[in-house]
Amino acid sequence: MEEVAERRGARPLAFLGDSQRRARILTFAAFALILLVLIVFEGLHDVLQTSINGLSLGAIYALGAVGLTLVYGILKLVNFAQGDMLAFGGYIAYLANVTWGLPFAVAAILAMVFVALIGVVYERGLLGPMRERGAGILQLLLISIGVAFILRAIITFIWSTNFKQLDVNRTGTKEILGLSIGDTQLMVIVVGVSVLVAVGLLLRYTLLGKRMRALSDNLDLAETSGINTRQVILITWIFAGALAGLAGVMAGAITDLKPEYGFALLLPIFAAVVLGGIGDAFGALFGGLLLGVVIELSTLVIDPKWKVTIGFAVLILVLIIRPQGLLGKARTV
Amino acid sequence: MDTLVLGISTSGFNLSFWVGVGVIAGIYAIVALGLQLNVGFTGMDNFGMAGFMAVGAYTMAILTVDHDISFWLSLPLSMLVTMGFGLLVGLPSLRLRSDYFAIATIASAELIRLVAQNAQGLTGGNQGIFCSDDFSRCYDDAWVKVSDTINGWFVDLGMSDPPSALPLLVVAWIIAILLTVALVRIQSTPWGRVLRAVREDEDAARALGKNTVGYKLQSLVIASAIAALAGWLLALNLATIHPTDYEPIVTFFGYSVLVLGGLANYWGVPLGAIFFWVLVEGTRTLEIFESESQQVALRLFVAGAVLILVMVFRPQGAFGKREEMMLGD
Amino acid sequence: MTEAAASAPAGAPAESPNVLEARDVRRSFGGINAVQGATMSVRRGSITALIGPNGAGKTTFFNLITGFYKLDSGSVYFDGQAIGGLPSYKIARLGMVRTFQITKALSRMPVIDNMLLAAPDQPGESLFGAVFRPLATREREREITEQAHELLASFNLDKKANDYAGTLSGGQRKLLELARALMAQPRFLLLDEPMAGINPTLGARLLEHMQRLRREEGVTFLFVEHDMDVVMSHSDHVVVMAEGRVISEGTPDEVRADRKVVDAYLGGELDDVSEGGE
Ligand SMILES: Nc1ncnc2c1ncn2[C@@H]1O[C@H](COP(=O)(O)OP(=O)(O)OP(=O)(O)O)[C@@H](O)[C@H]1O
Ligand SMILES: [Mg+2]
Repeated sequence: MEEVAERRGARPLAFLGDSQRRARILTFAAFALILLVLIVFEGLHDVLQTSINGLSLGAIYALGAVGLTLVYGILKLVNFAQGDMLAFGGYIAYLANVTWGLPFAVAAILAMVFVALIGVVYERGLLGPMRERGAGILQLLLISIGVAFILRAIITFIWSTNFKQLDVNRTGTKEILGLSIGDTQLMVIVVGVSVLVAVGLLLRYTLLGKRMRALSDNLDLAETSGINTRQVILITWIFAGALAGLAGVMAGAITDLKPEYGFALLLPIFAAVVLGGIGDAFGALFGGLLLGVVIELSTLVIDPKWKVTIGFAVLILVLIIRPQGLLGKARTV
Repeated sequence: MDTLVLGISTSGFNLSFWVGVGVIAGIYAIVALGLQLNVGFTGMDNFGMAGFMAVGAYTMAILTVDHDISFWLSLPLSMLVTMGFGLLVGLPSLRLRSDYFAIATIASAELIRLVAQNAQGLTGGNQGIFCSDDFSRCYDDAWVKVSDTINGWFVDLGMSDPPSALPLLVVAWIIAILLTVALVRIQSTPWGRVLRAVREDEDAARALGKNTVGYKLQSLVIASAIAALAGWLLALNLATIHPTDYEPIVTFFGYSVLVLGGLANYWGVPLGAIFFWVLVEGTRTLEIFESESQQVALRLFVAGAVLILVMVFRPQGAFGKREEMMLGD
Repeated sequence: MTEAAASAPAGAPAESPNVLEARDVRRSFGGINAVQGATMSVRRGSITALIGPNGAGKTTFFNLITGFYKLDSGSVYFDGQAIGGLPSYKIARLGMVRTFQITKALSRMPVIDNMLLAAPDQPGESLFGAVFRPLATREREREITEQAHELLASFNLDKKANDYAGTLSGGQRKLLELARALMAQPRFLLLDEPMAGINPTLGARLLEHMQRLRREEGVTFLFVEHDMDVVMSHSDHVVVMAEGRVISEGTPDEVRADRKVVDAYLGGELDDVSEGGE
């Protein structure tokens, strides 16, 4: 019998539908209320301006989170190496973009390909064989931490612990509707959101997406019903890797690169994943964006030095209140 | 991370250097003993040890420096505070499935660390707490006296210039060994048996009338008390308390030590700690690389390789029983 | 739920002949109404069978009355005491002990430790007792070890006492789980398909045990079973569930004659309803 995390007590607000729908509606209602209050006290302009910063941050979280959540959905593995995979993408882009002088877009694509490759090697060389041997949750979790260390070791060895910067224009801004948006920021938002929406549509409407869902519902059942699970798992890793690579590049475009920056993004990415309901790609997308915006908005009312803390506080709060997530579909936890 | 190891030149056999390694090994033995209780014997994948260590160290120092409480009294007090944090973290998160529990604990630890980093007034923020020039913020005076006394004995015994960390080495390992003995004994009682049952199958334990949540809480609170011990020792060793000393990597290294020693085996832990740190620091003495970055990389590489290789080839660790890893699930 | 625990058991006085009374118990998962209004009682000292097709809600009902799942609504009384809403471990301590359909051997513990764990009143199970009452702990340990070996012997498991429980065969685990439940000295034992997966000889032995415990110690049994021969020959009362409801109850003969029961099994022969395996 799986453990059932249940809440005691009566169910208020039953008219809003089942508990998952209720959670989603309440979350958005609460968010709208916060927005409203902030607009009243801080002004529309400030709130919108801050939200834009939040969206670019959120797009990065979401890119990392979708990969993490897809892998979790199918393999039930919390991949602690996700953060460092992301960092690896950033450094590959640095190699192509700065060392070799290739255009940024080409560098980003190279990074995605390379990290996808890391995902493939990780799965085929390590995780797949270990699962076949019947490795437990803890065993795989610790392997993923080991892989995280190795990736960070390679990064540190090649590129040292010094800060690195991608060759992007960080100072150029555009004025839109009285808001100033950094060029790179705009790029992060546009690229991030469009890639994520494309991935989302792909997952929802293609055969591949259907198969992934079948696997994440029940791996064994999918296997017996004739789906080539090995292949689907591999493709999932390719997705997760490519998205992590892209997330790393995008993060590198708006901040500096240092070996730990990927790991530092891991916990906010966890938060996005949990917020969205672990295993749910759309949930992760919204979770990432929402978290990014909430974190940035918090700077309107509290000292910005606390903003990273907000991410963790949100994560812990969601785990306490509703571990099955606020946005995605229901799952037992 | 670099602060974890004494920055001592490493050519030839260097007693001070290896004493420093021994202190670190002792501290990590203690950390991993706490993990062993949670992970190996209760089945709780606690990833928050670093956070509890921070609470122990900071509370000890804040009580001594800002509240004029004696160092010796600050120890039990800060341990109690740390246990309170264990309770606080455990109460809401214990009902979570194991991977969620892992995330919840690592997030709690990071939250603690970030608060330490930003609550300037309380913790010294990014400056940390250390013996400043005017000696107003020295939390370790009492210990330094004891340490000098102990080194005096070593001199009396004929040692010409005992390394300054030698007394800490002695104390850390006395604590580690006593703790191991205590944990082995308590594990062999019916109380320990219930813990193992909780690890195996909580539903089965509950069906037999065991308050599993209560036992998990006890396990976590004891582990946080143990983390406080490790936190103090780390603070005494570094002579400074700084947020970066309590990053998640400390917990991860604790896990490396744990799996090397083997799950569900307390005596494996101190051996695993020695093995791990000799491996990690020993590779430094080989002087393969010159730059500091490359040294950092090497250490990460060794730690990562240990985790992967042990999990792949010998999941029960060096001293664990094979059944402990294979029969489960 | 809490209101059940608070209100007095209106129609269930302490002297009721029923050890268990469940009234209008409900629970749904998402859209599935696993148990939708089950009312039943179990007479003290009886061996009552709970039967019903796969997915009828038998296991869910067990989980609900033993506190493993929260009730959506309804009330449960054990010996006249309202236990709806009590945590499962407290219910177990009252003497209402259950086993699981999917066996839960504590794999990485020796068989004997599985047994000792179940024994009540071991002072050494609290941290305080373990540290400060070593003598009482040791004394109790001696008693229950003896008891455990006797029980193991009666299930032919004594030679395995020091092996890891994970090394036992499926049938042996099933027996161990039963023996372990008996160690807890229950007044009321709920067994979820105790016979599934064990060979007929041991199955017969298990049934003998049930009869003897009822006779000598007054233990009441509620057991889920798919083998109709066993149900008909070994129970004195049968409750039938289908689609989350109790659709019939009575003596084995009454139930067998009930048209509704036959319909519930899709018109199939009752005797053919056998366990399809887990
Ligand atoms: N935790 C749960 N989450 C969702 N659905 C559940 C859960 N537990 C039970 N169900 C559903 O409730 C229904 C009743 O299941 P239950 O296991 O109680 O039946 P049963 O009578 O014990 O069947 P069997 O004879 O096969 O053991 C089934 O449809 C099952 O899928
Ligand atoms: Mg069942």
